[in-house]
Amino acid sequence: MHTLRWQHVTGGCMAQIVNTPSYVKDVAASEGLMSQRRRRTIIAFLFILPALVNFTVFRYLPIIASFRTSLYQYSLLGGYGSFIGFQHYARLIHDPVFWKSLSVTTRFVIYKVPIQIVLSLGLAMLVQRETFGAGVVRSAILTPMVTSIIILSILWAMMYHSQLGLIQSILGIFGIPHLSILSNPNRALPAITVMMIWKDLGFSMIILLAGLKGIPGEYYDAALVDGANKWQAFIHITIPLLKPVLMFVIVTQTVFSFQVFVPVYQMTKGGPLDSTKAIVYYIYQQGFSYQDMGYASALAMVTLVLLLVISYFQMRFLRAEA
Amino acid sequence: MKKRRPLFLPVAALLFLAACGGAPAATNSPTTASGTTSQAAATSAETAPPAAMSAPAATMAAVTSAPAATMTEAATMAAAATTAAPAATSASAGGAPGAAVTINFITIDDPDLLLAQQAVAQAFSKSDPKYANVTINFQSVPFEQLFPKIESAVASGANIDMFLADAPDVKHYAYNKAIIPLQDYYTADELKQWTPGSVAEGSFKGVFYAPPSMESCSLMFYNKDMTDAAGLQPPAKVQGWTMQEALAAWKKTTLDKNGTGTPTQWGVRWGQGTYQGDYEAGIIRRSAGKKGSPTNMGIAPDGVTFHGYLDTPEAIKSFEDYRSWHRGATPVTPAEPINNIFFNKQSAFVVYPDNAIGTINRLYPNGDFHYGVTGIPYYADGTQLCHGGSWHFGVSPRTANKDISVAIAKFFGGPEGSRIWYSKVHQLPARYDLLASLPEYNKYPQQLFNEGLKTIEVPRIETPGYTEYQSIFGELMQSIVAEGTVDVPSLVKDAATKMEAALAKYKGWNQ
Amino acid sequence: MATTTNPSQLTDAVRSQGPSQAARLTQRIIRSVLWAVLYIIISLIFLIPFIWMIFGSVREESEIFKYLYPFGWHTFFPIHWTLTHYLDVLGLTPAGKLADLHFGLNIFNSFFVSTAVVVCSLIFNTMGAYFFARLPFPHKNVLFVYVIATLLVPLEVTMVPLYIVVRSLKLEDTYWSMIIPWFASPFVIFSLIQFMRDIPYDLDEAALIDGAGYFTILWKVIVPNATAGLVTNALLEFQFIWNLFFWPLIAVNNPRIQVLQVAISGTLSQTQQYWGRTFAGASLASVPVILIFLIFQRYYVAGVATTGIKG
Repeated sequence: MHTLRWQHVTGGCMAQIVNTPSYVKDVAASEGLMSQRRRRTIIAFLFILPALVNFTVFRYLPIIASFRTSLYQYSLLGGYGSFIGFQHYARLIHDPVFWKSLSVTTRFVIYKVPIQIVLSLGLAMLVQRETFGAGVVRSAILTPMVTSIIILSILWAMMYHSQLGLIQSILGIFGIPHLSILSNPNRALPAITVMMIWKDLGFSMIILLAGLKGIPGEYYDAALVDGANKWQAFIHITIPLLKPVLMFVIVTQTVFSFQVFVPVYQMTKGGPLDSTKAIVYYIYQQGFSYQDMGYASALAMVTLVLLLVISYFQMRFLRAEA
Repeated sequence: MKKRRPLFLPVAALLFLAACGGAPAATNSPTTASGTTSQAAATSAETAPPAAMSAPAATMAAVTSAPAATMTEAATMAAAATTAAPAATSASAGGAPGAAVTINFITIDDPDLLLAQQAVAQAFSKSDPKYANVTINFQSVPFEQLFPKIESAVASGANIDMFLADAPDVKHYAYNKAIIPLQDYYTADELKQWTPGSVAEGSFKGVFYAPPSMESCSLMFYNKDMTDAAGLQPPAKVQGWTMQEALAAWKKTTLDKNGTGTPTQWGVRWGQGTYQGDYEAGIIRRSAGKKGSPTNMGIAPDGVTFHGYLDTPEAIKSFEDYRSWHRGATPVTPAEPINNIFFNKQSAFVVYPDNAIGTINRLYPNGDFHYGVTGIPYYADGTQLCHGGSWHFGVSPRTANKDISVAIAKFFGGPEGSRIWYSKVHQLPARYDLLASLPEYNKYPQQLFNEGLKTIEVPRIETPGYTEYQSIFGELMQSIVAEGTVDVPSLVKDAATKMEAALAKYKGWNQ
Repeated sequence: MATTTNPSQLTDAVRSQGPSQAARLTQRIIRSVLWAVLYIIISLIFLIPFIWMIFGSVREESEIFKYLYPFGWHTFFPIHWTLTHYLDVLGLTPAGKLADLHFGLNIFNSFFVSTAVVVCSLIFNTMGAYFFARLPFPHKNVLFVYVIATLLVPLEVTMVPLYIVVRSLKLEDTYWSMIIPWFASPFVIFSLIQFMRDIPYDLDEAALIDGAGYFTILWKVIVPNATAGLVTNALLEFQFIWNLFFWPLIAVNNPRIQVLQVAISGTLSQTQQYWGRTFAGASLASVPVILIFLIFQRYYVAGVATTGIKG
């Protein structure tokens, strides 16, 4: 059995994490003291300790509690019932709505993430110049990102509205008659996807902007001297140097998109005909509306494992591309 | 090599100061605002945050316990300070005489309800000297989040004393022992002062649990200018139009003045808000059955079976009608609901409880909205009905002040509390004595609601799984009006199966 | 590149430099106009809902949805202007006081909580990222997985158990309940690692030879070189906490310490929807954050030196 090698998971950065920088070894060796090295290890540990304490108390305790819950008949109001082992997990395999929600979520991620990454990279390139116009556009793009997703969902539901929506008016200019969007099972998910790309573009763009800022200008100057054009510079300098940040954006956006919840909760309630029932919404529904937090927790544990696997392959694949 | 950015330092320092310096200010200011700061709490809160910042790992424990203690202490001390009055000599109030008691009460964010609650709470503390130092701390959450909030509070053992329970959820809370029975605190005569419907909704397995705040019944409002223009005269009585007659009227008032293919004026909106919930939309299917028939009952007497009740031929026919109102060749209501459609004069009719009158008065204070009320449409070969029930007052078993909480619930549902409540909310009272004392309920239009309450009102389906049912029912209604091909009968049957699966855990609850 | 479009300069140029120069100038003008059009289109795509929302917050309640269709001037532009909604939500009118609205206080709470989290985050996550990016430690990769895996669980599921933890620490219904669970973030640690790993190691080495400890190296070498990443992450963390809704809703009961997002959702009640107040609140919620992003933008936008070719 092939064991997961986690240094792969973290891509390029992990190689450096795992291979201790040479200077540390040198210094430790020159001092020739084991205790010195141990002292350094302890000091190093102090740097991560606060975060570890936080994650253990505020993330892992709840996760462990959820796992325990998934083995019981459990509802929030009624409390714990009988221990049923992995029955919730067995039930999940035969639950058509679970599979439907998985497919809805997967489609959402597959539509959203690539488009969002390409657009945000393009926009980052466009607005990184320090002109007045670029500044205005940059602020405009960041506006949806800083606005509450609940408010945005309400606004977009109004814009999509089949009778009153602003989008209907715009479609009307091109001669397209009124369309049902959120009440049409084929259009509701793409509509939410478009809105979420619009909302999250700023988020990925700002990280890419910071990444672009980190690329030293001398590289481009050198490329210019060698007679490279902008496109060549982009392919041979920007992309390779931006890769860790790009990898990071892709992985985190995949994870966040997989957990889409509020727009579904606010705009469509998972419908019509389950066409927008994303996995986290289904979990919420099972736990809070259907009074079955035990089953909801089992769904959540499966989601956790799925995301682990997806992230693993993403990081591995992106690293192999280097 | 990259240029260093020394500017980061001042920025970081500034943020750091903001947090460290801001913490004590912050813990103070809100309490100061309410005029209840206690000196001891303020000073201990001041010392905690810097400690947390300087030695993170070591002081974790300190951080996690100390400030919290100060905050809660501050709250109780504050309560003590504000209400530190003499009075309270009776030890039966649940605490030592003079001791301040704070009752945590979860409620919904609704301006009218908040006003009513605060007014009743004030009257309560004046009602008896022993309650003079009782503070009711209302914690309001949006309607949609009320249920999750209560669930989370119950699941985590939070110290809530009371909460507002939607009528059909009372059984759910009672089943899960999230509220305590109050039967012993009422005589049989006292229970007869409310409408039988609201007592039934406040009861579980024949035991009374939660007194009602008010009643409700949905009838059909109309925009008089629009009906006049269409030459319609809706009857001013509860026994109004049948579905067929109503549909004809809705069609007549659906107008496309611009000729764009999209009506500029719609015939009807069935229900409040934009959600297609059971309170109003659930009436249609039950109306399709004769009184006492399975369709009319809506759920089997066991409270968990829907096959044969939700999916009878008449019920399915009514769901198909519902779809045709939205998606038929000549729709009479927008397939995607429009906010405030009736109040913005964009639809001629609306099915709504009597609080619509309050909304109209608020939006059109000059009286330039002419409206009338007629009966709720019903199937000629079925039953006319409206869903009753409103909010009830539940007492949590976790309360440390059971006697006081029960007294509050009794007062809120009692004659004086109900009168104050009505003066703020203006919705159909649940108490006969109050209803009889209000002259407006003997005059059109409110008289119709009074009459509707006595003649056509039925409680919503009785099951501890109402929350589950309501959620699946809402999805069903949404899917029924979806664009494209929709197989209504199989959707309804599917929903019945889903409901039964979700409610299986309650099997045998009422035996 | 800034392009001059001054007409007098244009004619001067045409006169003195002949037709080929004029053609080139025209080309430049066309190009800058195209840029401007592109900029305007992109900006509008992102701003239209906000323009509608902000105008919606200064018009009378009854006309907010009235003019949505057919599309026209008054879809956006109010007929009757009013500031009532703002005064209401700030609790400055009798109606606002009656409804117990105090958005001013809520904004302060949101600001305080978000700032506190950002400060903690800058300290602990920077330390954590430094640990992962540059410090020697056995089995660091295992720890890394331990940290990152916390990113993968949706909060909606762990919310109730988290509330139980927070309650058992006696933090519920305090500012701390909104700060302490978030003082370290797997996302920020993960992100900062990307920004720290490219800093040349000879810098650390030089400092180490000078006898500096890890903390000095972090403070004197890493932090100044990772400013773009630090500021960007601080801003992202700020808006993340600023926009949290479900957690404060569950964890906090006292309306006096409640944050803005929960207060806004309170205007969307079941029976009466106060859209004007909702929009006023939402506008108040967005503007401060946008301003903060604007103030700090030079930290995440590239300098002039590199714009020439990358654009």
